[in-house]
Amino acid sequence: MNNTKEKSNLFFTVVWLVLALLTIMTFSLGEAGMAGKGVMLTLLAITMIKSQLVANYFMGLRRTKFLWRVIMFGYFAIVGGLIAVAYLMGLK
Amino acid sequence: MNHSSATLSQEDLPGDFAIWIFIFAEMLAFGVLFVSYAFTRAQNIELFNASQLTLNRTSGAINTLVLITSSYFVVRGVEAIKRGLNQQCSHWLTGAFLLGGVFVGIKMVEFQDKFAADITMSTNNFYMFYLSLTFFHFMHVLMGMVILAVIIMKARHGGYSAHDYVGVETGASFWHMVDFLWIILFPLVYIIR
Repeated sequence: MNNTKEKSNLFFTVVWLVLALLTIMTFSLGEAGMAGKGVMLTLLAITMIKSQLVANYFMGLRRTKFLWRVIMFGYFAIVGGLIAVAYLMGLK
Repeated sequence: MNHSSATLSQEDLPGDFAIWIFIFAEMLAFGVLFVSYAFTRAQNIELFNASQLTLNRTSGAINTLVLITSSYFVVRGVEAIKRGLNQQCSHWLTGAFLLGGVFVGIKMVEFQDKFAADITMSTNNFYMFYLSLTFFHFMHVLMGMVILAVIIMKARHGGYSAHDYVGVETGASFWHMVDFLWIILFPLVYIIR
């Protein structure tokens, strides 16, 4: 039982470290002054991974009905997708 | 009605369902603002890019790390109360609360810098979105801190157990939403150009 809890806590620690690493990657891209379609899509992909890690593991939605995970993913897909569309419109 | 977590199905959302109605409503409101920002930017790219350069990206990144870490502390608090460890739960949540205070402090310095430079919501469209989005989010952090404080006090008095921790999960869900929204706000407003 304790072993299971320790593994669970270790897993959450790994998720936290991945989130921190992805944040540093986002910041580094900003500091490098990088811009353009590829960078925007990379940043949105990083943001999607981070948001789903928080939703599924920190919020605990991975243990809930599939519907709730679809809603959280759908939210990002719609909002992130529209942000990408708006950005691409600005390039023209 | 005070549900016991032990009586809830594993497939149910964590915490009180009412908080999830609130969470989805808040996400919708922020989602509309995020998309509005992006489409307004598409009409004023040079202005948005120039104004964005005046933001302190380091502060934004530190605040992202602060919120992510506070969310992690909240997860550990929930894991502790699932084992009936009220004191351990209150310690983790106190850590999250203090990090919330760090976020608020850094954000207030950022706001102060902008106001000292005579930048307001009327300055231009970028600052209108920047100030309204970040202030709206700032208010949610404050609300989350109040919720955490109430849970911490109850946990310190042994108010939860391994069979009744729905209150902790409810507050935790709200705090994670605050983190979730900042994770989108930070790259959108501070980084993407």
